[in-house]
Amino acid sequence: MSQHAAPADRPLGVGFLGAGPVTQAIHLPALARLQDILEVRHVMDVDAAVASSVAARVGAVAGTSIDALLADPGVDIVAICSPHQFHADQVIAACRAGKKAVLCEKPFAMNGEEAARISAVSAETGVPIIVGAMHTFDPGWLAAEQNWADLPEQVHTIRSSIVLPPNARFEDFATEIITRPAAGQPDYADIEVIKAALQGGVMGLAIHDLPLVRRFTPDFEQIEVRHVFHVRPFGYAISLRTPTRVIELRAVMNSTWKPEWIFEAIGDDAALHINFTPSYVQAGSAVATITRGTESSIFGPYGHNGYEGEWRELAGIANGHRPAPSARALIDDLTFALAIADTTVAGAAALHADAANTAGVSA
Amino acid sequence: MSAHFTVWGPPEALAAGAVSQTMASLPATFGPAADNQPGVADVLVIAGGPGWTAEATRAIAAGARGMVVANPLPEATAELAAAADAAGTAVVLDLRWASNAALVGDAGDPDARDAVRGALGTASLLDSVASAAPGTNPQQLLGEHLAALLAVCGPLHGVRVLAGGSVGYTLGGRLANGAPFTAQGVLTAARPCGVDIRLYTADGGVAVHVPDPDAAWPAEVRVTGAHGELLLPTLYETAHRSVWRRLKEHLRAGTRPDDLAGFARLTDLYATLAVT
Repeated sequence: MSQHAAPADRPLGVGFLGAGPVTQAIHLPALARLQDILEVRHVMDVDAAVASSVAARVGAVAGTSIDALLADPGVDIVAICSPHQFHADQVIAACRAGKKAVLCEKPFAMNGEEAARISAVSAETGVPIIVGAMHTFDPGWLAAEQNWADLPEQVHTIRSSIVLPPNARFEDFATEIITRPAAGQPDYADIEVIKAALQGGVMGLAIHDLPLVRRFTPDFEQIEVRHVFHVRPFGYAISLRTPTRVIELRAVMNSTWKPEWIFEAIGDDAALHINFTPSYVQAGSAVATITRGTESSIFGPYGHNGYEGEWRELAGIANGHRPAPSARALIDDLTFALAIADTTVAGAAALHADAANTAGVSA
Repeated sequence: MSAHFTVWGPPEALAAGAVSQTMASLPATFGPAADNQPGVADVLVIAGGPGWTAEATRAIAAGARGMVVANPLPEATAELAAAADAAGTAVVLDLRWASNAALVGDAGDPDARDAVRGALGTASLLDSVASAAPGTNPQQLLGEHLAALLAVCGPLHGVRVLAGGSVGYTLGGRLANGAPFTAQGVLTAARPCGVDIRLYTADGGVAVHVPDPDAAWPAEVRVTGAHGELLLPTLYETAHRSVWRRLKEHLRAGTRPDDLAGFARLTDLYATLAVT
């Protein structure tokens, strides 16, 4: 247990469940900029050596026990950064432990049933939950939201385009990583490999921007996947439609040095264009441009990114200065992502067959 | 002293091809026909609306040395090409984006076509977005978009319309190495009209932006790789002017352009695609 005194103005204590690259390269550097309000007190990982090493960097308690972290009175906020399949049970356990707030890395559940259980426990315990959809906390996005007026009703086309190098490039700018997962050589002839890649693409990468997409898609429950391409070595080109919206998702992870993370919402006469900074590095906020006809308003860049923004929000919620996010919105975001992931993966076999059938047909 | 070629065309064709201002930028070579008499002009301008190939074929029979077709719709050009060959007429096509010299430049000049085709071997994805004003016929936009893509990309396999409607379309297909190709058309007044072509490769790619030809704002071609990023030389020349400059070279040299042959590829592909 951490042995911290508890004056009223002391920083809130943070405990991490999982100390992998995201904790090391994203959250700890963000929290290092917020030491006046947040302090890492406990780091748990199934690998004791990793927990010890990461905890030692910030003077926190290390351990391999979830129960010990949840029982630590120095931990006010639990950050769940474990593999996806553990998220739901750990969120529920953190709520039942009576913590002030829970941050769960996206996705916070892997199916609707898990999401409903989480929602019920959050309502029962009153413990607020934030999902780490960092772009929704980016000051560039928030400034756009303050200024876009009726744009969400006007939009007919939405595009998310993500181009990234392998994570290691930016992790290495952010920290000194230990325990990087080994990269394999995928067998693209195996349809199960393609399915897994597309599932990972939607739930691990597209999911960053799907809450943004949903903000501009009032009929999101009627989402339909029109076509899916798997992009090698990692990525996707997914064409979606609702009765009122055209949605195109693109992602490529290759060996480029040049990242690009663009979100666009386009209407007849107005459009939003946001250029996000890459994850891991503290490169400030997105820059948002709202265009009406030929006139544009630019918002940002501001001094911090969405990860820092989400921690600021968490601290405000835990201190009772900010309202907790709507559980309904979190569930809607999740079910939207799951619907896209499920139908994308279901279409993978057809995609595979299609590639074989069209080979050699020249336009 | 430079040869001086007289030009005639009906007002709608001259307007569609911005011919007056373009001729004014090549004043030693082109000028209006005396008394606006079509029968005595060296170069005829026709608008590329429905039936333009038949009109062009008739005009060639009247003896023009050169012909500029402004914004041609995809139509079968075999008969026209044969007539042009027989008469020795140089026919050039003024295409909204595809005629921009940044896409296909003069021999030896760096251009988007060389940049893209040189990188196709390691392509992961080619993604393109064309933007046009609300009210534009999506099918027309599709033709202009495809013309630009075919100018730089080489063969596209299995191209089909994945989705279409009143606000645009999405195409899909594959590149020669099997990597996916997508192209989206969007109707909006909130983006400048133009086309973006993005090729993503193993270690970078090529980014092309081509603006509308109603001003001489330059296209941008950026090549990204391990070396960094290279911006190809910018050309402050409209697509219209590059067409007329090519025509000038052909008229002087007595050669014939291959515009119609290239356009046949577009026509064949376009015929298989319908935005509904």
